[in-house]
Amino acid sequence: MSVWYGTVYSVSTIFLQIVIGVIAALILNEAFRGRNLVRGVVLFPYMIPTVVAIILWKWLLNDQFGLVNYLLLAMGIIETPLSWMGKDYIMTSLIIISVWEFFPFVVLSVLARLQTIPPALYEAAKVDGAGALNRFFHVTLPQLRNVLFVVILLRSIWMFTKFDTVWLLTQGGGAEKYIRTLPVYAYMRTFMYYQAGLGSTLAVIMFGILIASTTVYFKMFRSEGEI
Amino acid sequence: MTPKNTFFSLRGQAIYWCAAILLVLTAFPFFWMISTSFKSLREIFVFPPYFFPKDFTLANFDRLFEQTRFLTYFKNSVFVSTSAVVLTMTIASAGAYSLTRFKFYGREKIASLILFTYMFAPIMIIIPFYVLIRKIGIANTHLALIMAYTAFCLPFSLWLLRAFFQSIPMALEEAALTDGAGRIRAVIYVIFPLALPGIIATGIFTFILAWNDYIFVRILITSDELKTLSVGIADLYNATVIDWGMIMSGGMLITIPVLVFFVFIQRYLIAGWGAGAVKG
Repeated sequence: MSVWYGTVYSVSTIFLQIVIGVIAALILNEAFRGRNLVRGVVLFPYMIPTVVAIILWKWLLNDQFGLVNYLLLAMGIIETPLSWMGKDYIMTSLIIISVWEFFPFVVLSVLARLQTIPPALYEAAKVDGAGALNRFFHVTLPQLRNVLFVVILLRSIWMFTKFDTVWLLTQGGGAEKYIRTLPVYAYMRTFMYYQAGLGSTLAVIMFGILIASTTVYFKMFRSEGEI
Repeated sequence: MTPKNTFFSLRGQAIYWCAAILLVLTAFPFFWMISTSFKSLREIFVFPPYFFPKDFTLANFDRLFEQTRFLTYFKNSVFVSTSAVVLTMTIASAGAYSLTRFKFYGREKIASLILFTYMFAPIMIIIPFYVLIRKIGIANTHLALIMAYTAFCLPFSLWLLRAFFQSIPMALEEAALTDGAGRIRAVIYVIFPLALPGIIATGIFTFILAWNDYIFVRILITSDELKTLSVGIADLYNATVIDWGMIMSGGMLITIPVLVFFVFIQRYLIAGWGAGAVKG
């Protein structure tokens, strides 16, 4: 079950982080007034302590007094307050929080790369009559290939072994069972049930899964072009 | 393209809206925390909520300082993070210096191995680390924490400083050596001043990592008076009635130092990314 929750958690958060991160980086690469301010603020969630990210969102998602429920009710999207920390929605909440906390990493990396794409490439594409979408898919994306390869790799490793965000959301209480990923399980076995052997075994399994999936990942994507 | 032009074009408008949405999504939770921390208990639970506190109050902060050991946690955090920075920077600069200035067998291999250890997440090394700390007999001390952070931050610090040292031309040092300065003097008077910006930036990354850490404190520290802020704040949830105002004010105070440092190093972030300094 832990492997399943862990997979759901890492796959969905990585996908959303990459999509949102790339879109945000494209926006921040455009020229507009106050761009530097926005660039700085967007990185905030990544810099703050995880415990702060958790308390912010636990408060926003509070079922009785939380702002999110209030806004959803006021806009008529839901009729009764959602219990975000209950068993049905806890995974959704966890994914929202994690994506919010970690997408700035993608923004940072992609933005750094975007700034080095020579403008001449876009001008050539324009002359050839490529629309904005075409320019994105045929000029920007191929240029981002390498950085995305590394970002996806790092983020997968870190999301799969993420402990503090997942653990702090429930601290072992409430609907903890429904977001018990492998790192949390290893922690609980070792430090709550004092089964350090089992905990270490789980850590080794995690390591094994990581090695296996990175190997497959390298085989699948690296052969197509050098990094 | 003048700013005016950009603003009135359709494309410019679209970009402005997208940027505004992005800004709200990232900044609003912080605004909400600050706003809540200045609200009185009654106002926090008013439904519908309002954005700005009507009676601006510091009561949450008073409770935070009186009813919890917030100040102790704060002092612990400052002490542990600063010591970790000093220790990490001492070892990392010496290591990075030798990785760039001396030629020895397997130098590049060592450098990539160091980067490889960086892939290990804390949760995977924490169990053997804990066992080790228990065996040495320094469990539940700040020393254990400082060592944990140093071990954890060294790989990326070394890697980052190595990049900085590589950008300092060898010729400068050789000139000093030819002029009769010993190696120590050459390092102190020639290399160190040039590497200082890099050392400061790396030090701040280390500080932020140590400051933000939760898992090492949770596992290595058991006495309440030795805990640092992350765990101290997280433990506020263990109360029977959760005091949201107090938690929010605590969250705000723990965030401020990080954001102040962050503003200082923002321009190093891109360089830091290349060396993998931003982990999480």
